Amino acid sequence: MTTFLISVGIGLATAAILALSALAFTLEYAVSRVANFAHGELLTIGAYAAYSGQRLFHQNVAAAALLAAAAGLLAGLAENAGLIEQFRGRSATTVFIATLGASLVLQNLLEMIYGAANVSYSFTQGGLHHVGPFLWTTSNIEVILSALAVAGLIYLLLQHTRFGKAIRAVSQDRTLAQVSGIPARRVVMGTWALAGAISGFAGFILADTIGTFGPQLGFSFLLLTITATVAGGIGRPYATLGGALLVGLVIEIAGTYSNSAYQLVWAFGLLVLLMLFRPNGLFVRRSATAVRA
Amino acid sequence: MYWVSIVTEAAIFAILALGLDMVWGWAGDFDLAFYGYLALGSYMTMVLTIGKPIPPVSYILGYRLPYPVALLLAVAAVVVFAAAIGAVALRNLREIYFAITTLTAVSAMYLFVENYTPLFDGYNGVYGLVNPGQTLLNLTYNGYRIVFLGIVLVVLALVYLLVSRLSRSPFGRMLRSVREDERAAAAYGRGVFFAKYRAYLFGAALAGLAGGLFAVFVSAFNPSAWTPQELLIIYAAILVGGRGNPLGVMAGVFAVYIGFIELTRFLPAPASRPEFGPALRQVLIGLLIILMLRFRPEGLISERLGRDRGPR
Repeated sequence: MTTFLISVGIGLATAAILALSALAFTLEYAVSRVANFAHGELLTIGAYAAYSGQRLFHQNVAAAALLAAAAGLLAGLAENAGLIEQFRGRSATTVFIATLGASLVLQNLLEMIYGAANVSYSFTQGGLHHVGPFLWTTSNIEVILSALAVAGLIYLLLQHTRFGKAIRAVSQDRTLAQVSGIPARRVVMGTWALAGAISGFAGFILADTIGTFGPQLGFSFLLLTITATVAGGIGRPYATLGGALLVGLVIEIAGTYSNSAYQLVWAFGLLVLLMLFRPNGLFVRRSATAVRA
Repeated sequence: MYWVSIVTEAAIFAILALGLDMVWGWAGDFDLAFYGYLALGSYMTMVLTIGKPIPPVSYILGYRLPYPVALLLAVAAVVVFAAAIGAVALRNLREIYFAITTLTAVSAMYLFVENYTPLFDGYNGVYGLVNPGQTLLNLTYNGYRIVFLGIVLVVLALVYLLVSRLSRSPFGRMLRSVREDERAAAAYGRGVFFAKYRAYLFGAALAGLAGGLFAVFVSAFNPSAWTPQELLIIYAAILVGGRGNPLGVMAGVFAVYIGFIELTRFLPAPASRPEFGPALRQVLIGLLIILMLRFRPEGLISERLGRDRGPR
């Protein structure tokens, strides 16, 4: 039972990071209708920015986190302006392939700058704490709390601000939003900046939790992100959080009770099942057939 | 010998690309599992020819079959494997859903092969297929390599003739009609799934064939040889040459492949940073894909569409 609870605890920490990454992925999809395969690199860029900044800021975790978010924000803006907007009106597969190419470019640019070898932060993980039935390090707790805080802020932003309302309008129908006087291009830009900042921050806490990371950090997290997103229902921000929780728990619990090398195989199996049977998410009442061409 | 090696490798990838073009170019399914089929073809050819494993090395089968027999069996194994994946993925999934599912499948397969050593000895991989038939043909090492290049080129020519015939055949036209508008094709009585499925299996067979030849070319095979991203250079080559046009695809592979190798040979490679050159090469491949898609998605030699000759 203790092993089970510990793996649930780790699963919650994984789910928190996954939730942020999936939230950003789904925001990108919502406004641009693109499954962004260069999403993982937003995380990687955030992680490396914090790595570059950690000496400057004398091990200040908050400063490193802000720097990661800022770098992610800029990268998100750049991906939107330099790539996604360039392919507006093209077929979903075409844009998808282009983002796959962009992912290859960014990943290898980072490798050229920082080298292929793994690097790590020198932040302390803190001691172990028993919180209720779970066993967490200080940084686990910080990760979970900050992810909850960010998710809460996004909720407020989407539900209670003009910008949030505009995002929801654009994600319903960009042209219709445009003719109703919403500056759709700017809203899309703002959403990418937001998604980039969330991703950059997620990359930082992911790298900090794993310990060491390399240029493939974000890319190897991408399929997990997609699994969580699809489980929740792509383009539906709140349901995505539920999807992240499910995936985080599944991989950590399955990983504890089987060979941990196959941890990801479980997640991939889950994704294939979702794609086949619930492509619109677990939380929709009936499986709509819209995605079937 | 340098050129023999480069042209051999390019020709093997041209066979792979012709197969991939049937799946993506003709039928319109963006498949990311495809490099896994080349890998499986390579692995199977190896374990069917190199004999029993000596502990601590372990892999399945371990027969000592003649190379041509092993090659045929390897292709058959790849087709069976692709039949399973295709049956699941092609039925309802289209476009990015299909792409993500196939990437997921190949990633799971990759992790499994890498970690489950009894299959193909995990991360170490299998090796020992050195120039099958060299003593039989009484050749030197270099002589064998030249003969092998000749064989690969003959196979490529045969594959090209077959594929370009198929491309113009009713089957090729049907696939393109399915690609352009699945519902219209179905309304005209075409079995959409079965058409796509046949193209998928045929493409996978070519990937398996390329894999079997690749096994001789590299004589050892392990997971670092087939990271799923390797497939992107093949897609780049198809995009450059002209998606859906066999001649363009073949030309694209030779141009992109040899072009990149030659170009990146002369790039600065600091000794302290051995990953610099390969990384730069990947950056250029990614840029090539994006730029071709943006400015010339039909490629340099575009697809020739069948003309309607009217009622006869």
